[in-house]
Amino acid sequence: MKRILINLALMILAFTIQTCIFPLIPFFSASPNLLLIMTFSLGFIYGKDSGMLYGFFAGILLDLFGGGSFGFYSLLFIYIGYLNGIFAQYYYEDYITLPMVLAIGNELTYNLYIYIFQFLIRKRLDFLYYLENIIIPEIIFTVVTTLLIYRLFLFVSRKLEEMEQRRDTNLV
Amino acid sequence: METKRSRYILLGLTLLCVFLIGVSSLREGIMDPLRTGVGYLLVPIQSGVNAVGAGIYKDLTDYGKLKTALSEKEELERRVGELIEENNRLQAGQQELNRLRELYQLDQEYMQYETIGARVIAKDSGDWFQVFRINKGSEDGVQVDSNVIAGGGLIGIVTDVGANYATVRSIIDDLSRVSAMGLRTGDKCIVAGDLTLYRDGRLSITNITKDGDIQDGDQIVTSNISSKFLPGILIGYAADVTIDSERLTKSGYLIPVADFDDLQEVLVIMETKETGDSQLGALERSGN
Repeated sequence: MKRILINLALMILAFTIQTCIFPLIPFFSASPNLLLIMTFSLGFIYGKDSGMLYGFFAGILLDLFGGGSFGFYSLLFIYIGYLNGIFAQYYYEDYITLPMVLAIGNELTYNLYIYIFQFLIRKRLDFLYYLENIIIPEIIFTVVTTLLIYRLFLFVSRKLEEMEQRRDTNLV
Repeated sequence: METKRSRYILLGLTLLCVFLIGVSSLREGIMDPLRTGVGYLLVPIQSGVNAVGAGIYKDLTDYGKLKTALSEKEELERRVGELIEENNRLQAGQQELNRLRELYQLDQEYMQYETIGARVIAKDSGDWFQVFRINKGSEDGVQVDSNVIAGGGLIGIVTDVGANYATVRSIIDDLSRVSAMGLRTGDKCIVAGDLTLYRDGRLSITNITKDGDIQDGDQIVTSNISSKFLPGILIGYAADVTIDSERLTKSGYLIPVADFDDLQEVLVIMETKETGDSQLGALERSGN
């Protein structure tokens, strides 16, 4: 329970940093997508169910911010959480290659989803331009950030687990 | 067993989202109570984090600025001299203009709009959308469709408003379309945001009629026939106007006067186009 609350609080923090701090930094031509990283890391660490629910929460945050159709981001983030949760069986603490590959896959999915449903349907056909100027820079930034944040996450979740275990043994 | 349960949850959440997308697309504004409610919680956090971030960033850059400040001061003093001289000249021109306006009874045109200042507290993450959030909302009199200006030019329009925040879509957003006109001739055109052009600091101008007289360098202002924008707000200057391939219309580019890269404070115009009656405006929107 405590773990869930801490993770939700971290998500709100990530959302705030992403929307309030990153735009202030002028040399960030692209910025890492922290909520996406959190959703897929949580899914990857805790499994499908948790991934889905954390994804739903992250999506709601984004939907509340934007003025568009409510549910657009929630729908995507549920699936990101769920699909990454499938890989949880390959989860191994110090194994960083798979999370990196997943990060690239998730970023591609996220950006293609936006491109197809918000741009392609309005006949913006110049996909290569968007790929070169928006999608690839964001992927690079996100993958680099994943390297840092994923480790931070592992650290936090390991600490939380230790605390819970200690409490359990105390009870016994 | 557990997999099966996961699939049911997934299916349930998917249906919920599809349902929400459907409902919110059909009835705009139906989610507003929820957005406003969460706004009470999130906006103070966003404001705080934004203020702290801006403060730290300011301290870091202050030292660098000090170095250039002295040379800038000299430059500015020279500029003030120039402006005083120019102002004197313009005042003379203004008096003449007033006299002529009275003659033509045109003085109601280009009226001064009442504005309030607002701070930009958050911006849409990623580069796909040019949408930002300000710290003034319906409690301060901001309404949906309120026009937003900064730096002497049009910035955007309020698309969504909560009690203590409002969401603004910039005119450089890919979805934005503004009905505009050339100030010199009054010929109509459409100023549209385009993600592929914005990187070059441009917007597109389309739908100028074949005989319309809009030339490079002309001032482009919001048109008096626009349904959402108040008339006569400067947007920018026309550039590279050429005739389209089908020879019926002309199009070109617009260089905006406002600087969108470093937006921190904006002005919201309190008056909206719909005769200032917000209830009537709301009815019109929900009706279509």
